[in-house]
Parts: sequence; C-alpha cells; structure tokens
Amino acid sequence: RKAKLFPPVPPLSFLHSFWSDGEQTPESRTFPSAAFCRPAMEINDGEEEEEFEFSRNYFLAKELGGSSKKSGRKISDIDPVDEQELRTAANNLEPKHEREVASLMESYKASYPEWGFMLRTGFGLLMYGFGSKKALIEDFASTSLTEYSVVVINGYVQSINLKQVMVAIAEVWWDQLKAKRRNSPSQAQQPFNSRSIDDLLAFMDGQEADDDKSFVCIIVNNIDGPGLREPESQHLLARIASCTHIRIIASIDHVNAPLLWDKKMVHTQFNWYWYHVPTFAPYVVEGVFFPLILAHSSTAQSAKTAAIVLQSLTPNAQSMPIESLYAASRERFLVSSQVTLNSHLTEFKDHELVRTRRNADGQDCVYIPLANDGLQKLLPEINP
Amino acid sequence: GSIETREVHSAVAFVSARREWLDGKQNERVEVEAQKTESGLVPTHLALGSCHRGGATSGFTVSEFTPAGKLLVPSGSSSKGLHLHCCCYMEPFTILHKASSRKTDKISTGTGKSRTTRRIDLTASLPASTDISDVNAAESNERHYSNMRMEAFEAVWSSTESSIKDVLREANATIFSEIHEWVRDSFDTIVSFGVPNFHEATQPFPVVKDATSKQIFTGLVLTRNIEFVDDLVTFEDLKQHLKSQGCHVANLSSVDFSSKNGVGTCLRSLLGQFVTGSLDTADISMLATWYKEQQNNDNPVVIIIDDMERCCASILSEFIHMLSEWVLKVPAILIMGVATTVDAPRNVLPSNALHRLHARKFTFQSLPEKMNYVVETAFVKQSSEFTISHKTAVFMRNYFVHQNGSVTSFIRALKIACAQHFSTQPLCFILHWFLRDEDNEVPQSHIYGLSQERMLKLAFDLPSWKSTNNQITQLSGETLLDGLTQLKKLHKTWRMVVLCLYEAIKGENVQLLDLMCEALDPKGPFASQFDIGSRVLPSDDSTSQKFHSLEKNKGLINRAIRRVKELPANQLLVLMKAWEKHTVDVPEFHSEVKALVLSLLKLEENGESLNQNKVEMTNTRKQALRGHLNGADKNLRVANEKASNLVDLMVRRYMCPVECVALHEVLCFDCVDQLQAALIGDMRRRIQMDLQDFHAIIRCSCCSKRGSTILPSMPDSSIMYTLAQEHGDVVNVHDWYQSFKSVVLSTHMVSKRGKSRSKQHSPTPKKRKTTSELSQPSEASIQARFCKAIVELQVTGLVRMPNRRRPDYLQRLAFGS
Repeated sequence: RKAKLFPPVPPLSFLHSFWSDGEQTPESRTFPSAAFCRPAMEINDGEEEEEFEFSRNYFLAKELGGSSKKSGRKISDIDPVDEQELRTAANNLEPKHEREVASLMESYKASYPEWGFMLRTGFGLLMYGFGSKKALIEDFASTSLTEYSVVVINGYVQSINLKQVMVAIAEVWWDQLKAKRRNSPSQAQQPFNSRSIDDLLAFMDGQEADDDKSFVCIIVNNIDGPGLREPESQHLLARIASCTHIRIIASIDHVNAPLLWDKKMVHTQFNWYWYHVPTFAPYVVEGVFFPLILAHSSTAQSAKTAAIVLQSLTPNAQSMPIESLYAASRERFLVSSQVTLNSHLTEFKDHELVRTRRNADGQDCVYIPLANDGLQKLLPEINP
Repeated sequence: GSIETREVHSAVAFVSARREWLDGKQNERVEVEAQKTESGLVPTHLALGSCHRGGATSGFTVSEFTPAGKLLVPSGSSSKGLHLHCCCYMEPFTILHKASSRKTDKISTGTGKSRTTRRIDLTASLPASTDISDVNAAESNERHYSNMRMEAFEAVWSSTESSIKDVLREANATIFSEIHEWVRDSFDTIVSFGVPNFHEATQPFPVVKDATSKQIFTGLVLTRNIEFVDDLVTFEDLKQHLKSQGCHVANLSSVDFSSKNGVGTCLRSLLGQFVTGSLDTADISMLATWYKEQQNNDNPVVIIIDDMERCCASILSEFIHMLSEWVLKVPAILIMGVATTVDAPRNVLPSNALHRLHARKFTFQSLPEKMNYVVETAFVKQSSEFTISHKTAVFMRNYFVHQNGSVTSFIRALKIACAQHFSTQPLCFILHWFLRDEDNEVPQSHIYGLSQERMLKLAFDLPSWKSTNNQITQLSGETLLDGLTQLKKLHKTWRMVVLCLYEAIKGENVQLLDLMCEALDPKGPFASQFDIGSRVLPSDDSTSQKFHSLEKNKGLINRAIRRVKELPANQLLVLMKAWEKHTVDVPEFHSEVKALVLSLLKLEENGESLNQNKVEMTNTRKQALRGHLNGADKNLRVANEKASNLVDLMVRRYMCPVECVALHEVLCFDCVDQLQAALIGDMRRRIQMDLQDFHAIIRCSCCSKRGSTILPSMPDSSIMYTLAQEHGDVVNVHDWYQSFKSVVLSTHMVSKRGKSRSKQHSPTPKKRKTTSELSQPSEASIQARFCKAIVELQVTGLVRMPNRRRPDYLQRLAFGS
C-alpha cells in the first residue's frame, strides 16, 4: 500500500501514452516509453527523496521486527495498578503545555476569515494534524458562521443514524428558508421523518432557496471515526456534502483516513480543501471508546473476571476442579451423568474459562486458557 | 440537592449536577442513578463533561456507567463555585446553532438558543472589548468587504468556469448529436417490431415476440479516460442533451449495480428518476405502467450506465435480461461507458446476456484533447485576466500528469488557486475591474475596504513595480492606471503569441500546457530581454542570435518556429489564416500576415492551374513546367521563411512572460506551496512530523533542547512515538512502558546525577523506585499517561491494539518520516 495519499510515484505509464499520443485508439493501446516532454523544472524531487526515506524506514522496521530477539516480557510484568485507580489517575492527569496549546488555538483565529471564504466558495474544509480539533472547529463555526445554521456530527460515537441526521439537517434548512422569506406563505411540509433519503437529498439540493449563497454547514468531527467508517456512510455523507445548500467541515485523525474515499468523492462531492491544523489538544472524547491497554488485557484483569464468574456459579460447579474429567468428577460425586458435566462445561465455555481442542488421538480435551500466573492468582482467591 | 436526569437523544443520559449537591460530598465518589435510555446503557458507555469554575473552563474528567446503570462522577474539586454539566459530547449529532439574522448575531455570539455551555470557550482569555459598538461597526464593515471580495471572486471564476464548461460541451457536440441520431434510429427499429395493443399494454407481464425483438440497442461509449470522474461530467451533459431532445433519460452508476443489494437497487434508482412519489417496491412493470401513462409514447427511454466495467456482472446481466423481456413495452436503449476497449462487455458479461445486446461503438474526446481545450480556454483565450505563475503552471502540470490525470481535478486545482489569490492578494479586486473593462477609470478600491491611498501604496510597493519603476516618483492614480493598462496589453499579446505558436504545432500532438509552461518561464531563453528593469525592447539582434543558436534544438517554441519553416503550402495557408484571426490587435503583424495569406493564395491559384494543365502536358512542355514548379517552390520557401521570421519576431518582441511585467502580482497567482497544501493533504507524513517536530508548532520554552534527547516535558504521545522508533514493526508493551517510565522519571535523575544520564533508553527496565523524590509521579499516574498516549496513537492510527495471538505486543502501522 502506498504511504501517501498521492505518492509521487513514477508517472503512470499508460497516462504517458495518453498524454503523448493523442491519436492513439484505445484498441491499439500500447505502452510506449513516450517521448514525453518534461519541463526542465521538476518540483517534487525533494518529495521523492522523502518517499524513499519512508519505504526505507518501513523495511528497516520489518527487518528489526524479524531479526532481533523478541523480548518475551508480558504486560502483567508491568504490574498494573488496580483498574479503578488507573481510571481515576487517567481522569486527573495534568495536561502538558496547556498555555502553548491555548495560544496555538488562538493563533488559528487569524485564519478564520480565510476558512470562511473557502467554505463559501464551495469547498469542503478537511482539517488534519495531531490533536483534537473538535473545539477549534466548533469555535470557528460559532464565531464566523453565525449567519448559517451549523449541525455537528460526532464520528467518534459508535453508531450514528445518518438518516436521523439528515432529517435534522433538512429541518434546520427548512427553518432557515422560512426565516428568509417571511412574507411568502409557507407551504405545508410533509414531515421530514417520513421522507426517503433521496427526497431529503433533493430537498437540500433543491432550487427552492431564493439566494443560492445560503447554506447549512455540517461539522463532522472525526469523519474517519468508528461511527462513520462504513463505505455506505461515507457515500451518503459525500452525497449530502455535494448538495447545493450544504457545506461541510470535517476533521480526520487516522493516518489511513484518505483511503475511505475514491476520487469522485474527493474531487466532486466533498471537494476537499486540506488544512493542516495540529492543535496538540488531548484526544479526550475521540479516545473515549478505546480501551486502556493496562486496564483490560492484563492477566490480573482476566483472573479477576474469572473469579467473579466462578464465585457466581452454583456451589457444585464452583467446587469442581476444572481440569478433571468426567470420571474424576463422578468418583467424587460431583456429577452423576455426562449431561450434567456437559452443562457445566458449556457454562465455562461461554465465559471462556475453558476451551476444547482435539489432541493427536482425536479426543476432545478441555483446557483453561489462563496463563500460569493468572491461575496462581486465581487459586488463592477461590480457595481462601 | 437537585439532580436532573433526562434523556438526550438515544445515546446517554444527561446529568446536570448543581453546586449544592457537590459541595456536600467532597472527595468521595458520588453515584447518580442514570435513567436507562432507549438504547440501554452499556457498561462501556462513558459520559463526559466540562467543569466550569468561576466562568473559566477546564477540561473535565470522564466518568463511567457501571454495569448496574449507575453513573460514577468523581467529585474532584472542592472549589465552591463548581458547576457541572455532563454529556452532550456523546450524542451522535447536535445542532450547534441556527442561522441568525445579521442584526442579532453580532451581539449574541455564543448565546443562541442552543446549548452553548458545553463549548470550550476559547474567547475566555481575550480581554473584554471596550466598545462593543465600535467592534460591531468594524465587524460589519469587514463582513461587507469580504462579501464584496466574494462577489469579485465569483464574477471572475464563473466567467472562467462557464467558458470551460461551454468549450467542453461544444467539443462533445458532434458525438452527442451522433448518439442522438442513433438513439432515434434504434427507437424506430424497436417500434417497427410492433407496438403493444391496449390489452397487451395493460397486462402486468411482458409482450413476447421473436428473438430479434428482444435485443437491446446498446451504445458502448469509449471514454478514453484514466479517471472516471471526468466521464461523470460528460455523461451528465449527454443526459441533458438527450433530455432536451425529448428522450426520457436516467443515469445509473456502478454503485447501483452492487452484488450486495441485488437488482432491486438499480431498479429502484431507475424508477426513482422517472416515477414521482415514494416507492415501496421496485418492479419493472411499474416502469411499463409509467411509460404507458406518458402523454406521447414516441420517445425512447435511454439508460446511461457510466462505468460498465465497475458494475457487478451478474446484476448487470440480470438487468439486461429484464429490460430485453420488456423492451417492447418500455423501449429502453442502453448507453454504457467503457474505459478500456470494446471487448470489455465480452469479458464482463455472460454470453446469454451478450446475445441480447445490439451494440454500437462511440468514442468520446480523448484526455489530451480535452485538456488542450481547457488550457486554451482558461489561460490563452480566457475572458478573465487571472493567470498563474510559471512555478504554479509546472506544479499543476505535474499534478495532472503524475498524480491525478483528470480534467475535473485540474479545473478544481485552478479554482483553488483562484480562491487563494482572492483570499491573499489585497489588490485582487482589480481582476474584477479588468473583467468589467473599465479601463479609463481608476479601480474603485473603497468598495473593497481599501482607501485609494492604501491601494496605491500597496500597488507601488509590489516588488515587480519597485524593480521596474523606481525612477518614477509621482505616484498617482493615473500612474497606476497606465501600469495596469500596460499589464493588460502585454498579457494580451503574450496570449496572442502563445496561440499562434500553438496553431503552428497543433498537428504534432503537443500539449498546450507544456507550451504554456515554457512560454511562462521568466528565466527561459526567450524571456531574457523582458527582464524586469529593461522594458526597452532589444535593438540589436546579436544577443538574441546567440541564445537562438544555443537553444536551437530545445523546447516547443523553437520546434514551432522550425515547423513553420517546413510547412507545405496548403497547411501554411491554413496556419496563416488562423494567425490572421489571432493577430487582429497587433497591426504590425496583422498586415504582414495578411500579405502572406495573399501571396499564398496566389501560389495556390497558380498551383491549381498548373495541376489542371498537368493532364494536357506533353513531354516537350515538361521541361518548362519544371522550371515553373521550381519557381513556385521557391516562392513557397520564401513564404515559409517569412512566416518563420514573423513568428520568431513575435516571440521575441511580444511573448513577455507575465512575471516580467510590473504589477503582475495583481493577476498572477504564485503561491505554489499553499496550493499544494490545500490540494494534496499529506496525512500520513504530517501526523508523524507533528509528533516529531512538535516543538516547531507549539513553541514551548521547556522542550527547546533539540536533538535526540527525549525530554519528560514533551507531550506523552511524542515521547511514545519517538520511543517506538527504536522497535520493529511490533512493540513489546512492557519494554515500551519501561522506557516511557524512565523518560518520565528522568527529570529526577537529571537533578540528582547531573548530566551523566545517557541519551539512550535501553529497553531493559531499570528499577527507579529506589530514587524517592517528593514530586515524583505516582505509578498509577505514569500508567495512566502511558495508556492515554497509546489511545492517542490509536486514534491517529499509528499503532494497533494487541491481538489474541500476540497479547503483549502492539503493532506499529506507520514507519517514520
């Protein structure tokens, strides 16, 4: 995969043939090493070097990953603190460079007129750069776009019903239209809720407005977020963005975000105008749905959950040694039949306390997918 | 106290806790019953708020819903004026504000009807404005001026854009009318198979006839494009054209033919374009009913599929089968865009579907042809004076050839350039003035918020003016007017010469954009005499002779001049006639070209009479004739020589690159970097650069030490990112944590051991716990910072969480910049 959105790769050979040979018919299309006239000055020489650096780094990293002796250290070796303590600490972190970040945000204010200008000329603004851009974009909207209604979509939320969003946008646009022509009798509108998506799009694209310059602005925080990552969502957003009376401002954070769009979307629908605006503001809301690595994946955690599950089981199941087989259980009068054992085992399987696999002889074997240290921690807890 | 709990949309509950309530329970965990919402509370659902302390806003903590549906709110601060708002951030969408009328918005910024409290207030640190009315007046002026600039931009850009659109449409006119003719013929053929009678027509099933009547007339349009983006525009134009001729036209795209949704989607999309009202079911019989209901049934239904090769083959063939069964009831004609060759349908469709197609081939304009039209319209024949510098032209050319290859995005790049020009160049409104052709009046700068003095100052401070006209001391409106008129004149003659040169080498598959880049070059071989500062045209030919011999074989311009020398009579005549048209405004050339045309016409007459005589030639006369022919040949040579000299003179005298003219900044865009940044966002590299060179961006005093040293004051994500560079494609979480910890604790080490600390961060952990410092961060806080930094790196896509197979490793997804 290419490392950049538009990597300055060697010119497409078939584009060359197009460019240099206008007479050529597609049927006879060949790929001549076109005698292509290159202007003396090539601007992207430096870029090509950088590109080379990129690929070199990639292979270096791959090599390093393969050859060097991998450290066998486990996360549990860190000795993570109690989850609740960790969360509290995470919530009370002292932000770094607070003053500098604030003045950085402040410095972008000088660009607001330009952003507004570009938005009004019909481009969609795409903000990128490290740091949360939510506050920045919303501040821009509330200071410079007061003439227009602004709807915010939060892409970092897990699930977003775009139809609902469209209904809201249509309602806002309808209000804006009504306010513009107070004198003319407003015709009765079919409630937007019951309209189809195509209808809504047609309404937002329609010629109903008296002046074409008015629009509703949509802010999409994290257009690359989990709630909008589906191609269907992106296609729909692109269609919304291409409506006459809609302008879009979006932020992206993921390095692969541009892969969400094809050229039709980038150039004709979203019509992106890129702005590099690193803010270094902490990703607070954007990161809310990401698990804290030391809170969830550690053995302490799984031992703890295992203990909770085991404690809430029936006394018979609790006291049953997990690694014993049916015979052993029967000997100890824990179960009386295979069916009972299976029902217990099903319970364990559901909670991932045991798993089955087949050994070389084709027998089903039960095992506990907990690491040794996890088990060690677990045992004193269930047998105090 | 009062605890409000209510629902907000469907995501989470809204909790607003009042001061009294929190004051009573300092430093303990407060549990608030949260109402279950429609979607139900999930344990991972988090609520977030902002904490207002005496008006100032600070980032506030994240709280969590417990599995039991309780909301945990750490009470944190014991400050008296604590006011807590929760949630809102977790809504999928909100209305930030509604459009306000112009009068009220100035005063009530930020206090609209909507919930604005949750916005982080960036203006809080600004000193309160002393006089609101002053500020408002200035603001309203500013808005007015920006509107005026906007208008100027729209006028200039729309003149360019509309002429480009027109020229592209005109270029397609022939092929469009050819297609229309074929559509008509096909329709007549379909009708000749038999029109269903009333009884047949009302039945909800197709009419069955013989196999030939089941064929669908299909136009395969070779788009000859790299990018289907351009085709979309062309097909839209085609749709409009056919519609204007009375056909019923629908556009389907490859998205409608996806295997995911089956044939229903494309039917629904098709019906949606004809039948009004909501559709619950999509059925082709509905289309038949609709067609029957049309006033006059003498128009075909044309279905355009823009990129046939991207469609799902099975769905497309199903669609074709369906259409062919119904073709007598719904006289459908397909037009399919094909990007590669006419063989494409054979490769894509099964044979039984192919049998139903009666295909005919059409070919659209090729990309280079289109490009030439666009460049010619936008830069050489344009109605607006806006132009771009040599550097920008080279960049845009490279962008087109190397990266994009679509006319649409080339035009888009031009629009960005134009918009940037209008947002950065204070004198840009002069372009509007040029457009309105008010040559004898000084531009009305005050409309755009510039006093005349200011405009003159800005204009006469332009580098191009300073370097050429420093001897002129009297700087008045008239001086500016003269300068601008001169600028316009030189720009016009430049375009004339480029056009003439282009006419000369048109036949050789030369790209006008290449020629333009060469002609724009202010350091090119032909531009030396136009150097800024020497407006006087060169009197002696020696210098020009020198570079001429040096650069003889290089460049398109020289090629053009040479070609004129070698053109045969008839082509030369065509060329001269074209030049005659272009040179109207420059009398000295116009008269010479006219004379050349006359002499060539004479030559041709002679030649024709000779040809007529040829038949009756006898051997004895041949000799004499040869002499005559030689004479004609000589005359042609003379004409060639004359024309070539003429174009040479034109180039040297009038092809003044715009960047060599005083005041060119007014109409010439030159910020390549800005254009590139707006056009090509370099996401992957820039994010990593941000993390690496964060200091260049935030300019703090604490991290000013540059080099490889990782300082604990750096942003945690930067530290983590830098540390990850030392690892391979996977990073051991434990090792990463230990290096992070040692960095975080390194301030304490430095203070203790002085500068002895090595720069290296060995991945092996060093137990630092022995060093007990008072301000040392707690283990929990270091772990929390570590976790947060990893979350941030995940948000930016630089690392991926561990998978089951490698639970102790994080995967790196980007590798340095």
